[in-house]
Amino acid sequence: MNKFLALIMTCFLMAPVLPAAAQTVGFADAIKILGASCGKDINTYCKTANLGNNEIGQCLSQNQSKISAQCAADSITVTALLEARFAAQAAAPKLCDRDAQQYCKLVKPGNGNVLRCLLKAQPSVSEKCNTAIDLAGYR
Amino acid sequence: MKFNTPLPTGLATFAVVFGLGLSAVNAQTALSRNEIVNSLQGAQAKVDISADDLRKQALEHIKKYPGDNSTEVLPLAAKLAQLRQFNVEITFDFDSDRIRPESYETVGIIADALHTPYLMGQTFFVVGHTDAKGDREYNLNLSQRRADAIRDALVTTFRVPAGQLEAVGLGEEQLRDPSKPDAEINRRVQLINVGF
Repeated sequence: MNKFLALIMTCFLMAPVLPAAAQTVGFADAIKILGASCGKDINTYCKTANLGNNEIGQCLSQNQSKISAQCAADSITVTALLEARFAAQAAAPKLCDRDAQQYCKLVKPGNGNVLRCLLKAQPSVSEKCNTAIDLAGYR
Repeated sequence: MKFNTPLPTGLATFAVVFGLGLSAVNAQTALSRNEIVNSLQGAQAKVDISADDLRKQALEHIKKYPGDNSTEVLPLAAKLAQLRQFNVEITFDFDSDRIRPESYETVGIIADALHTPYLMGQTFFVVGHTDAKGDREYNLNLSQRRADAIRDALVTTFRVPAGQLEAVGLGEEQLRDPSKPDAEINRRVQLINVGF
């Protein structure tokens, strides 16, 4: 197969995936999947594990052979969803840097000041920055 | 949802306390990120209450007014009541600091709220309260461990900056409804904005 065809094929295969990959969900919507899908397994196999310090994640992987297939699959999804939101939050200031310089020059940076300014300036702010803000869950 | 029009503090506190009496009756599904943001945002300058003082005060309170139930209010209570705050219900295993899976979503909602630009950079107390059943010092200790567990989850699982959160357990020393000391309404987690 030549390279061009491979590229077309890749684009074709990726197409349905891309819109989903370009979205993020909030922490609550992500973690509630874990609570719902793995709650029973967590209460059975992770009686002393808590939500913090990745105790639940560790416990579930230690008990991989015992937990339900649904929980095993969903716990991977949840981790990916959390990571996607963290990445979006980390990326937003960079993607909005130009807009911040343009519309929020007089704002003292820190404590979310610049982001709040960009939220107010939404109609003027670039699509790139507005999308970054949406993906970070800041609106 | 409007974020940038905080109510005057006094009025808001009243609204929060009043509103929560109702929401405690309703299902937890009513809880939303924006509800928390609206109740917590709008803090002014840093408040001079330290988490350590509050913890010490609760313990001293038990020694000073011993007995089955507390009869006096905490000296810092009035000052705390003036601050932007919100109450949530999080369920734990009996006699344990293990957050039950059905409450993961609630912890996630708090994380979503704390990550917004409206609350970014501000410091919050995560205050655990129990009802009045059982020994007061035991309850104080249990509520501290539970507040610690919530803080741990927020800081590690949801990456809320550690410097933004202080966990405090007040046991049964500050009941929401002193006329019904053993009632469920007293078991809650209070988020208090102590400013920048």
